[in-house]
Amino acid sequence: MKKDVHKFKLNYSKILVHLILILGVIFTITPFLWMILTSFKTLTESTMIPPIIIPKRFCFENYKDAVSTLPFLTFYKNTIISTIAKTVGQVILCSMAAYSFARIEFPGRDIIFILILSVLMVPGQIFLLPQYIIIKKLGLLNTIGALILPGLFSAFGTFLLRQFFMTIPKELEEAAILDGCNHFRIYWNIMMPLAKPGLTALAIFTALWSWNDLLWPLIVNTSNEKMTLSAGLASLQGQHLTNFPVLMAGSVLAIWPMIVLYIIFQKSFVEGIALTGTKG
Amino acid sequence: MKSKKILYLLLVLILLSTFLSGCRTKDTSSDQSQKDKNKIATLSYAVWDKNQEPVMRKLAEEFEKTHPNVKIKVQLTPFRQYWTKLETEANGENVPDVFWIQGPRFQKYAKAKLLMPLTDRIKKDNIDLNNYPQSLIDLYTYKNDIYAIPKDWDTTALWYNKKIFDDAKVPYPTDSWTWDDLRAAAKKLTDKSKGIYGIAAPQEDQQGYYNTIPQCGGFIISEDGTTSGYDKPESIEGIKCWIDLIKDGSSPTSKQLADTQPSNLFESGKLAMVFQGSWMIPEFTKNEYLKDKVDLVVMPKIKKRVAVIHGLGNAIYSKTKHPDEAWEFVKYLGSKEANEIVAKSGVVIPAYKSVLQIFIDANKGYNVKAYVDELEYSYMYPHSVDTAKWNQIELKYFTQVWNFQMSPEDACKKIAEEMNEVLRNEKK
Repeated sequence: MKKDVHKFKLNYSKILVHLILILGVIFTITPFLWMILTSFKTLTESTMIPPIIIPKRFCFENYKDAVSTLPFLTFYKNTIISTIAKTVGQVILCSMAAYSFARIEFPGRDIIFILILSVLMVPGQIFLLPQYIIIKKLGLLNTIGALILPGLFSAFGTFLLRQFFMTIPKELEEAAILDGCNHFRIYWNIMMPLAKPGLTALAIFTALWSWNDLLWPLIVNTSNEKMTLSAGLASLQGQHLTNFPVLMAGSVLAIWPMIVLYIIFQKSFVEGIALTGTKG
Repeated sequence: MKSKKILYLLLVLILLSTFLSGCRTKDTSSDQSQKDKNKIATLSYAVWDKNQEPVMRKLAEEFEKTHPNVKIKVQLTPFRQYWTKLETEANGENVPDVFWIQGPRFQKYAKAKLLMPLTDRIKKDNIDLNNYPQSLIDLYTYKNDIYAIPKDWDTTALWYNKKIFDDAKVPYPTDSWTWDDLRAAAKKLTDKSKGIYGIAAPQEDQQGYYNTIPQCGGFIISEDGTTSGYDKPESIEGIKCWIDLIKDGSSPTSKQLADTQPSNLFESGKLAMVFQGSWMIPEFTKNEYLKDKVDLVVMPKIKKRVAVIHGLGNAIYSKTKHPDEAWEFVKYLGSKEANEIVAKSGVVIPAYKSVLQIFIDANKGYNVKAYVDELEYSYMYPHSVDTAKWNQIELKYFTQVWNFQMSPEDACKKIAEEMNEVLRNEKK
């Protein structure tokens, strides 16, 4: 008897959990579905009220239009290069900085760390102008380098990884010192492998942020040959009129690499975000 | 472990290579600027509308044909980011040589000395400004200097769905209509059982109360730009006439209109009439559902006939390295020849008056002449140095009026007070 009651209860709560989860899935997946459906509609269908959900005829012309009006291959290339460079740069530079803040005692360490933290408190738009002027003085305006340079290092990444390194027991390090390791060996051979979840989280955040970054590429670069996907897509929006089916077709083309990446690294994504949820 | 090391190494290499490639592009760009000094002047031309980009590129090509020593680079930035970009570039003293400017932001840019005054050049080259609507010349004049050559313009007209009129047996709108005719017809056309409304009364400025306020005899900003006209009883009338339409039930409520734009309702056959700017011509005439059922007519008259006009201008950056070439290009963009190309595209109404017939012919079957007819009694788009500031004030109070949380009288008084404060501060 008891067992049965228990079983029933379990099922009941399971159904509830599933209902909530299904609701969540509907909420998250609807915009994606809508984007894909709209990308196959004609312009007339896309503006109809009440909305037409399934287009009468799936027209691929929108994809053709998107690809013919925008140099997608160049956009892919620029976006991939800048995303990889920024991600690798952040993982290496931030982890190095984080290691020294977490483990090496040097004069002025705390003050420098507070300075870096203060960067986190300032909204990003404030950096727009000084960064633009620096890039201009470096002569890098309208280059791929301009997309990458300001994103190579971040205060957020340093802070995240420093907190992560702090949780790694000091004993491991002491053992390594006894064995004759210098700081770089400790950082590279001991800390880095142990900090893998933190590094993954940082890599994921950087990649996502870099892929979606809109304002910076638009401001610092002017020609289509040096634009990223998100910036190039934004130019499909007119002041008064926007061809939404074409814009959605472009968006589908722009996000699929990230979706594929997500499917491959799903576990790390979830772990990474859960991790920063508790630590950050 | 080893494979991991190789991976890291590879990533570092990629990182380095991107740096180097960055440096390389830097070299080529400095090469280019070297060349510029010798011979070819490269001008950048900043625009924001994707729909007009092809025409702009065509104009640039045509210009390059006759000016082999000038190269034009058309830069497209979406409208929302265009001004942020321009302001950042202004701080870095790296603004495009030639760029589009719009009325509400013009005085701010002129006051900041970002625009090159064109008055002397216009005189020297004998450009006849009578070729452009006077209200647009006024729009781009600041302290007796003109800073931009009008590029295009837009006014608002009344579009209607013939099928809904036929079904309700109501005669089509004519150019002798008054606001009362409009109101009566809207009532008759409304059929809530079918979800059809006679008209939309959205909270809109250029397509709405910027027309009705002067039509009632009021004004938004005094001609010298020092005082707000919102507290005039005539101006309040110009707001009330919209609210009446919602009260009649002939228009969807402002909440419904916030969910669905009037143009979308019109395209779905749910609106019999709608006030729309001339930029909607391609949208409506290419719509498969609408194209056989739709036509347009000038706005109905209230006390007098007035239509607000806005248009873009081509301006030159005050610190451009190639002022003469930039002027040649702007002069070309304002020429009859260039305006003919724009007119044939049918995307926007060209500023050059004598080519308007080409634009009308490019839209056969529709009475787009309505927009052109309104030119005769058009008035300059209301603006001052800090236009954006009092636009915010209008938005704040009119949202309450449209939601019936405040009376038009109270809102207009509040707006006038706060707007006058903004205008006083401008002069400081």
